[in-house]
Amino acid sequence: MKLSLLKKFKLCPPIFGVIISLSAQAQINTPAPKISQVIDHKLTSVADNTAIPKWIIQELQPSTLSSDEQQQELQWFKSQAEPFAGLTIRVVSEHIDTHVYESEVLAKAFYDLTGIHVIHELTGEDDVIKKLSAQMVTGLNLYDAYINDSDLVGSHFRSGAITTISELLTFKSGQYTLPTLDLNDFIGLQFTRDPFGVIYQLPDQQFANLYWYRSDWFENPSYKAQFKQQYGYELGVPQNWQAYEDIARFFSDDINTIEGVRVYGHMDYAAIDPSLGWRISDAWLSMAGVGDAGLPNGLPVDEWGIRVENCHPVGASVSRGGALNSPAAVYALEKYVDWLEYAPDEAKSLTFSEAGKWLATGKIAQQIFWYSAFVGDLTQPNLPVVDDQGIPKWKVAPSPVGKYWQKGMKSGYQDAGSWTFLKNTPKDRQIAAWLYAQFLVSKSVSLKKTLVGFTPIRLSDLESDVMTKKSPYLGGLVEFYRSNARNVWTPTGSNVPDYPNMAGFWWLYVSKIVDGTYSPKQGLDAFAARVDAHLAQLEQTMVNSQCAPKMNPIKDESFWLSQPGSPKPLNQQVIKGQTLPYEEAIRVWN
Amino acid sequence: MFGIKFLLIGLLSMYSLAVCSADKLTLITYSEVPFAAQAGNTKQGLVIEFIDALFKQAGLEYEILFFPLKRGMSMAESSVNTCVLPIERNQHREVHYTWIGPVMVSRYGIFSASPSQPPLVSLNDAKFASIGSFLGSGIGEYLTQFGYQVDLTNNDTLNVKKLQRGRIDFWAADLVSAKAIMRDNDIHFGEPKIVFFTSIRAMACHIDLPMATQKRLNDALQALYKSGYMAQLHQKYGLSL
Repeated sequence: MKLSLLKKFKLCPPIFGVIISLSAQAQINTPAPKISQVIDHKLTSVADNTAIPKWIIQELQPSTLSSDEQQQELQWFKSQAEPFAGLTIRVVSEHIDTHVYESEVLAKAFYDLTGIHVIHELTGEDDVIKKLSAQMVTGLNLYDAYINDSDLVGSHFRSGAITTISELLTFKSGQYTLPTLDLNDFIGLQFTRDPFGVIYQLPDQQFANLYWYRSDWFENPSYKAQFKQQYGYELGVPQNWQAYEDIARFFSDDINTIEGVRVYGHMDYAAIDPSLGWRISDAWLSMAGVGDAGLPNGLPVDEWGIRVENCHPVGASVSRGGALNSPAAVYALEKYVDWLEYAPDEAKSLTFSEAGKWLATGKIAQQIFWYSAFVGDLTQPNLPVVDDQGIPKWKVAPSPVGKYWQKGMKSGYQDAGSWTFLKNTPKDRQIAAWLYAQFLVSKSVSLKKTLVGFTPIRLSDLESDVMTKKSPYLGGLVEFYRSNARNVWTPTGSNVPDYPNMAGFWWLYVSKIVDGTYSPKQGLDAFAARVDAHLAQLEQTMVNSQCAPKMNPIKDESFWLSQPGSPKPLNQQVIKGQTLPYEEAIRVWN
Repeated sequence: MFGIKFLLIGLLSMYSLAVCSADKLTLITYSEVPFAAQAGNTKQGLVIEFIDALFKQAGLEYEILFFPLKRGMSMAESSVNTCVLPIERNQHREVHYTWIGPVMVSRYGIFSASPSQPPLVSLNDAKFASIGSFLGSGIGEYLTQFGYQVDLTNNDTLNVKKLQRGRIDFWAADLVSAKAIMRDNDIHFGEPKIVFFTSIRAMACHIDLPMATQKRLNDALQALYKSGYMAQLHQKYGLSL
């Protein structure tokens, strides 16, 4: 390597050290011993206390573990990985800050610690799903593990293609299971189980969809007085969609500019992109109140509008007992489209990753739900949304709910990116990937990772003094995750039997509603019919799967709309806007 | 009366033309050894063999045309019953086409002209280097999106020369085609410094490809995987993971 090239790469000391040490090796892709050899290998105990590279210890601060405990845990990885040293494994995840940190720093740490070379690929979440599906279809060992949203749990448990976490935990009597893994410490494990309690995935990072607002503007006495005079109630955290709409109109139209800058009372995104579909399937319909009560997902009708009976999906359209084209869903889509008029013009051409950072411009007063994975982007110094002391001028709070929402229903969406292992992965590679997965979620690593990406997975991290000290700088994120709300904001559930294919229908039909090709009712009718057709097809092809779809016969919609629960009949009630002060609004989290 | 007959004949002709053109798909591919190449009237390579097997299985007619990748992608986006392959399927491209796949799985590596260049531990180690790729390449788009300095050429062969002359630090390329390009140009950069990305390549068709045609092609593709044909074809061209 030319020295100039080294300088150009700006290699940090640990990375440089790794490259130099690599040059001494013949080949990093040397095949690892087969699992049979691994089994025969007498693994040394944790007592084999060879040195942990200093840079790793320095990097992994702070931790909830004591220094000795952390050393011991890292030693465990070092010794258990010994038979796999020299192996190159491949994992893939979506592109958010947490996974960037894993890919660029933690994979190197794992390599220095264990000799297992991890290519941790980053890509869009949709690509992760496509790749996982491709491995199932082709039978090729594309990746050794995936970090895949738990929204797919309904597909996973029906597919028969997954090595469950329950299996990995007990593989070879738990020989490769981290003794300090402490499953009870994970806050999202209930999202990754099938209806029978089997754990299919292990959470690696979690983030929630929360109401976001400029607390400094909302506390401004002049704006408060003006809002009360015009709308007849206090400017505060909106509790229902009418209040959200009033506040959106207030800032976009009535206030219009603050200190010469055009401001907006609403932000969203609507570019034709897979993330448009997730925007609606993740949260819009659940917050409108499309489904039934029940956690983590409504029963018998969930927030996708799919009805299940004894774990069998029976239909999504109202005529089959579902709610995807119900009055509540139409109401949700109408509001989604109508409110775009209060957002900047750019909103229609933005995607998930582009819009998440848009709030940092300081032009937005509120967003009905915002992915907390972007906390890091909104807490940087010198942003218009952060004060001189580094305290955010914004807060997160529970999202307002639509007029079909009732108590006992999920209140929002939570993403739980989780380790997923496919059966058609060679066992030695799978176990090496299992070790890497456990490393990334271990107590040695998880607190530091939480401070980098703000996507907590462990209760012990959330309750730590470190997070208490950090909490004023995170706009309410810590308060959310310390409360019971973390169980009420939930991912897509096990009702969805084929997420990879069905997720594509969402953006396809929603985009045609956004561009005016269809009215919300027309679009949702067509969408629900398409989902039913797909479920009916699965009923034919999933004959040997547990909980395969069993379609309900078509009945007059009035039959289902007159039954209790979802699908709910048209609600023409006029709701008055209602707001609460922040302190009261977040009490619902306790 | 004559007028009505004429109108009917005209309408029938237009209908049959529409039916014929709907049944026959125009498939666009591009030169990428050893996957697709054209010498005179002879077309050969993995993609050509695959298309033949797929369309026989599906019972559909097709014609193959060779165009540069970027142009092929634009034609499949704008013309009905037109597809381009093999295309790296990614989230950014997802909504612009109807997809039939996976057709091929490719691994991408970073090549260096310097034998003394040690392997890279992660792609990030090349963050501040210039990396060669070609126009329309999904891997070029991927690297650009992640903030890498990507230098694009019209075709991948030019990158070999650029790398040799030190005009780029690295070359990012599909492992199988990189091997073939190096062999054809009698240049040998050795093993890649890192194999950093796996791509699922598919056939990208016009967004309004009829659902029935889409289903026939996808069912046929599934059958080719189940029969073992795809594995044999991949092996024949050195595509093993």
